[in-house]
Amino acid sequence: MPETKTAAAPVQQKAKKKSEFMRVMRQLSKNKLAMVGLAILIIEILLALLAPYIIPYDYAKMDVVNAFQTPSAAHLFGTDDTGRDIFSRVLYGGRYSITTGILAVLISLVPGIVIGAIAGYFGGQVDNIIMRILDIIQAIPGMLLMIVIASVLGPGFFNTIIALSISSIPGSARMLRAQMLKERENEYIEAAQSINCSKFRIIFSHLLPNCMSPMIVSSTMGVAQTITMAAGLSFIGLGIQPPTPEWGAMLSDARQFMDQAPHLIIFPGLAIAITVLALNFLGDGLRDALDPKLKN
Amino acid sequence: MVRYVIKRLLWMIPIALGVAILVFTLMTATPGDPAQTLLGATATETDLAAKREELGLNDPYFVRLGDYLTNVFIKFDLGASWVTSVDIMDTIAVRMPRTLVLTIVTLIIAFGLGIPLGVMAATHQNKWQDSIAMVLAMIGVAIPNFWLALLLISLFSVKLAWLPPMGIEMGLVSYILPALSNCTGALANCARQTRSSMLDVIRADYITTARSKGVPERSVIYKHALKNAMIPIITAAGGAFGHLLGGAMIIETIFNIPGMGTYIIGSLNNRDYPVVQGGTIFLALAFSLLMLLVDLLYAAVDPRIKAQYAGKKRKKVKANA
Repeated sequence: MPETKTAAAPVQQKAKKKSEFMRVMRQLSKNKLAMVGLAILIIEILLALLAPYIIPYDYAKMDVVNAFQTPSAAHLFGTDDTGRDIFSRVLYGGRYSITTGILAVLISLVPGIVIGAIAGYFGGQVDNIIMRILDIIQAIPGMLLMIVIASVLGPGFFNTIIALSISSIPGSARMLRAQMLKERENEYIEAAQSINCSKFRIIFSHLLPNCMSPMIVSSTMGVAQTITMAAGLSFIGLGIQPPTPEWGAMLSDARQFMDQAPHLIIFPGLAIAITVLALNFLGDGLRDALDPKLKN
Repeated sequence: MVRYVIKRLLWMIPIALGVAILVFTLMTATPGDPAQTLLGATATETDLAAKREELGLNDPYFVRLGDYLTNVFIKFDLGASWVTSVDIMDTIAVRMPRTLVLTIVTLIIAFGLGIPLGVMAATHQNKWQDSIAMVLAMIGVAIPNFWLALLLISLFSVKLAWLPPMGIEMGLVSYILPALSNCTGALANCARQTRSSMLDVIRADYITTARSKGVPERSVIYKHALKNAMIPIITAAGGAFGHLLGGAMIIETIFNIPGMGTYIIGSLNNRDYPVVQGGTIFLALAFSLLMLLVDLLYAAVDPRIKAQYAGKKRKKVKANA
């Protein structure tokens, strides 16, 4: 397949790319779970975006008289210790959690791809040195590394994103490298080399597009994992800080009232779990759609 | 084989050195004055200056790094905590076993339930058992461990008062809730891995042969098929261990287990850098050792891999072939 791709005229190539995209989408649309995941995500993103127009109460407005209300028609998810409406806070929190997940993964992809591409394409000593450095970083358990980086950077929304993205660089670099090592043995790369394509061009316009499928899948799953980790960081007080309505921070707040108001724990956690579930459904579907060989 | 093990053990030295430099640099880059944190807001400027001198904070970065590396790698001394002045190695010797117990109990629960679940899914492929197992696995991956911890505490400790919500006073019983909350991800991954590697194996000719010989189905599945499907599952276990160790950091803070996680996180908040550095180096080494063990386990399970480890001679033969 790839050989015909490079040989084809530019116009045809474009048409082919489009049809490849359509093929994946068609394949994906047949997968019920993936569609459910996609639907949940779209609804969640819409809810988060439109939160200011939907929420019944100001998410930060305290109303001590109505503190610790259990879920009711007036307060769908109940209220917290200062009478803030949990439903409004969970909707608003989606903005922080989903943005954190997506941004952190996107940011980590840039250095991840560059490092992985260099290691995978050049191989030999370069690869050896890069991989050994990654070995060192990955010798530290992931969550611990993230906790340490987060505490170096200090708490806050953007610092959390940076901490999360730094700790996911080695994973994506390693993945791309493995893919590159496999892909560069193909004949079309030899062909590109023989017509004196620059290394930059071989890596970025020939190899990379053919290595992207597993990266897309792992990034989708990566967003899910990052959302959980971000919530975990906020939960232990190193990420986004209360009173920001981030889901992890809300859980951390709710912890002290566990015996009097268990409903405070349920909804923010449920929001995390549903988002992660939806992303994993989508990721699984994408894997099947992008690479029929990987099915099962 | 022995050569392979020695090579891997030697390789741990640069890993530990790299981790030490990395964490030391990160700690140096942390904003804030440890002397201020240690002495409190009421400390006078002269006290602070004396403390900084005592901790060696006034020396240039490379001098301090050099001192630290000499202490750790030549004198094998991780130093003492800045806050409590207790020797770090002594504290780790007490705390590491607790983290290990938590991780191992979690691993046992995860694989004890995950493998049968995966086998059931594979032997009933595309039937309702398979769907249920896979949906459970999906949910297991999605549930954040700290949320599950809160839910379990509010049910089993607050409502039913069956299990302690924190501490380790009740021995192994106190590890049940922490392990349960930490196990879902590993359990789910194990079930999925078992299912897919069983599916690869189950259609092989030797399985048909075993069946046609009249070997009972149970023994076909568990003795013939599962044994050959084990390698990817062991890989999953190795990966899971690292993940669980990381997850234990948060779980320990929730359940107030005095293990490595609470030690390191507490020290991060107190700016107790030697503890963070020492603890991280120790965990990284423990993790590398574990990965070596996993690789050796492969060899035990699969003679083909053992042959690969055996040395260069063997490799050359392979290269010629």
